[in-house]
Amino acid sequence: MGGAVTGRWRLALLQAAAPVLSIAFGGLVASGIIVAIGKNPLEVYGLMLRFSLTRSDSLAAILLKATPLIFAGLAVALAFRANVWNIGVEGQYYVGAFAAAFVGFSVRGLPAVVHLPLAVAAGAAAGALWAFVPIALKLRRGAHEVITTIMMNYIAAAVVLYLLADVFRDPAQIGTPRVRTPLFADSARVPPLGPALARLGLDVPAHSALNWFLPVGIVACAVAAYLLGRTRFGYEVRAVAFNPDAAETAGISLDRIRFTMFLASGAIAGLVGLSDILGFFGYFDIDFPKGLGFLGISVALLARNHPLGVVPAALLFGLLDRGAQGVQVFAGVPREVIAILQAVIILAIVVGYELVTRYVRVQRKLEAERAVAPGEPAPVAGGG
Amino acid sequence: MDAIVELTGITKRFPGVLANDRISLAIAPGEIHALVGENGAGKSTLMKILYGLYQPDEGTVAVRGERVVLDSPRRAIALGIGMVHQHFMLIPRFSVAENVVLGAEPARGGRLLADDARARIAALAEQYGLAVDPDAPVAGLSVGEQQRVEILKVLYRGAEVLILDEPTAVLTPQEVDDLFANLRRLRAEGKTVVFISHILEEVLAVADRITVLRGGRVVGTLAAREATKAQIAEMMVGRPVLMELAISPARPGEVALEVVGAVVAGGRGRPAVRGVSFAVRGGEIYGIAGVEGNGQSELVEALVGLRPLAAGRLVIRGRDVTRAGVRAIRLLGVAHIPEDRHRRGLVLPMDVWENLILGHHGRPEFGRGPVLDRAAVWRYAADRVERFDVRTPSLATPVLALSGGNQQKVVVARELGFAPAVLIAAQPTRGLDIGATEFVWTQLVEARAAGLAVVLVSAMLDEVLTLADRIGVIHAGRITAEFPRGGASPRDIGLAMTGARPGERTA
Repeated sequence: MGGAVTGRWRLALLQAAAPVLSIAFGGLVASGIIVAIGKNPLEVYGLMLRFSLTRSDSLAAILLKATPLIFAGLAVALAFRANVWNIGVEGQYYVGAFAAAFVGFSVRGLPAVVHLPLAVAAGAAAGALWAFVPIALKLRRGAHEVITTIMMNYIAAAVVLYLLADVFRDPAQIGTPRVRTPLFADSARVPPLGPALARLGLDVPAHSALNWFLPVGIVACAVAAYLLGRTRFGYEVRAVAFNPDAAETAGISLDRIRFTMFLASGAIAGLVGLSDILGFFGYFDIDFPKGLGFLGISVALLARNHPLGVVPAALLFGLLDRGAQGVQVFAGVPREVIAILQAVIILAIVVGYELVTRYVRVQRKLEAERAVAPGEPAPVAGGG
Repeated sequence: MDAIVELTGITKRFPGVLANDRISLAIAPGEIHALVGENGAGKSTLMKILYGLYQPDEGTVAVRGERVVLDSPRRAIALGIGMVHQHFMLIPRFSVAENVVLGAEPARGGRLLADDARARIAALAEQYGLAVDPDAPVAGLSVGEQQRVEILKVLYRGAEVLILDEPTAVLTPQEVDDLFANLRRLRAEGKTVVFISHILEEVLAVADRITVLRGGRVVGTLAAREATKAQIAEMMVGRPVLMELAISPARPGEVALEVVGAVVAGGRGRPAVRGVSFAVRGGEIYGIAGVEGNGQSELVEALVGLRPLAAGRLVIRGRDVTRAGVRAIRLLGVAHIPEDRHRRGLVLPMDVWENLILGHHGRPEFGRGPVLDRAAVWRYAADRVERFDVRTPSLATPVLALSGGNQQKVVVARELGFAPAVLIAAQPTRGLDIGATEFVWTQLVEARAAGLAVVLVSAMLDEVLTLADRIGVIHAGRITAEFPRGGASPRDIGLAMTGARPGERTA
């Protein structure tokens, strides 16, 4: 049995190594492009890492960039874990952010302990509402959620733009090129994380917008991991994802699991934009950051849809983003090269995971065959 | 006799396993040679070596007297050796002809010669009596027809030796008969057939010679004419096998399950079950015999709550559960061994311990509130694995890594947990070897002795005749006849399975 145990460690190690190898492979391909534009890849990567990891403003920027991606990655992962394909995180976070913004600028006179949670709850509720439509259509009418969520994305973008430009535009800005909502009440703003980190001895520049949504996101991932890994509900989610027919035969309601996970996904998606608007801008404007929902799909993929994997995956994306700024400014390498690096890593990961998964499956099978050692008479219980 | 294929001293090792141990085997041209043995005996490994999928560590292969190195299936095909896999490799949306030529398309200047292909396939089908329409889309074919397409694929590539890996595992009894007719025809046309099986009746019915493997070695080769079931079974298992079960007289208790006039919709909206009524008492086994596709699957799904009853009533332990769902019915103490353990019985990627609590995972002993108590589950799973002798490296092994027999043991161990009162067993021994079949039968008999009401649905007449206290024969969605134990011969039941009423004469 000793051999089997070390074998299992070997397999676990291999599974853990798959993303690292994929990242290395992505780096290799991007090296080719860097050479092609006449730069030395080692120098560029060295600069990128130095720039990203040795400056305190870089660290803050990475964490800030990673914050919405943690929420986006978690939102996508929650749905994908239950085999429902929420491609609508993009739209869900637009409406979530706008709902939070609405609570932020329209409600006055509440204490922060009430106002801020109210804004956050509004964001989650709006995100969940936007997810409710596609999942209800799927469970009631069989409409495929990939199609409906993508359509809901367009609707979300149009509705939010309409509300922003035609209904809630800050009257004080009319006549200027700025299209934005009124400023939020201070009670709806999320405090910066800098002071707390400074107390831990970490130096965050005073101007950094890094805020409390980062720890909230990490805790959300940890809670999701616990719920999925340790509870009866999480067990049911896994069974439904791997084999819905068997889960149904065991008396598990497929609709209930899919509905719950999809709404949870939408609710988390509703929080994606809040770090930016409640922690930085203080208003919702037309240049509000877009595309985070789609980036969340990449993050979830890198994390293999595991909530705990979402945090390092989001940090890696933050690192690449910051590094791209560094090499663009100091090495003259266009940031598109880093975008290619990201894309290749993601492709390599998809392929790499599949290869490792197949290899592990074969190894497991051999191990089980060994357990029924050849030469022994067939096992018969009860003495025949 | 000059062998067309001769394997000499073949040894194949996998890490920690000696799959083939100095196996020598000569296949004569124009014979049907059966390779039998328990799961894990090394049959498939040996055939994969012959088909060039594996290379032996030691030993040689000779084809028509010449030593060859089979380093790929391509080489094997070039030498006239073809394989029909157990799991078909067909593209459902392609036609029969398109599937057959796939990978060996006749073409001129890059243009597919579809008419040539179709004509050749039709000629092959004609020559070997393989009735399929070359233009039919594969999606609409029955399993038996799909298998014929696979055989055509191999013949189309010029195979002289056909290897069939457990070809009957997926077939209905009628289809098995058709397949055997096809095999005999192939033999008559001079082809050589090697087929892998562990069902002794079949082997004796169709093979000329039988080679028995056990633990990676050849136990012996017999002429089928001189062999008996008991003899082969003993060679396979390595000890005398109980071919008949000692079963004590039934002591029926209260009615535990009753269906009245059940009508259940089938796949295409038409009723698959058209007014079935029966009652099963505790301590008895009610067998449902019938050709597959006569409503058994739908009936079972209705009994366990997976399919609604369009009409009729279902009463379990005195409770009307006609409109109840799966969960409510399970909570009444209904256990279910599904007919397709991969589709409905197990979550293959999940571990053994997880599969052992599927459906029981909500029980209070497995945790407090919403949280699963892993230690408690683990203790329970360890006990189940030991009691049911599930051969697994650990509780944390995914079920997909286990052999079919051990997978079924996981299902049985789980379903018989927590003292059920009713057991619905659908095709419980399908695809299992002798040892595992014996195990499942023993469990069913023990369940009966423990007072469970058992419904046994099986396409294997032997199984129903051996185990059931009463036999209902299902045909076209109706129970057309009912016999007590010993009240009917296999012939009577076989007749009823075709829809004839007892006493009626068929013209």
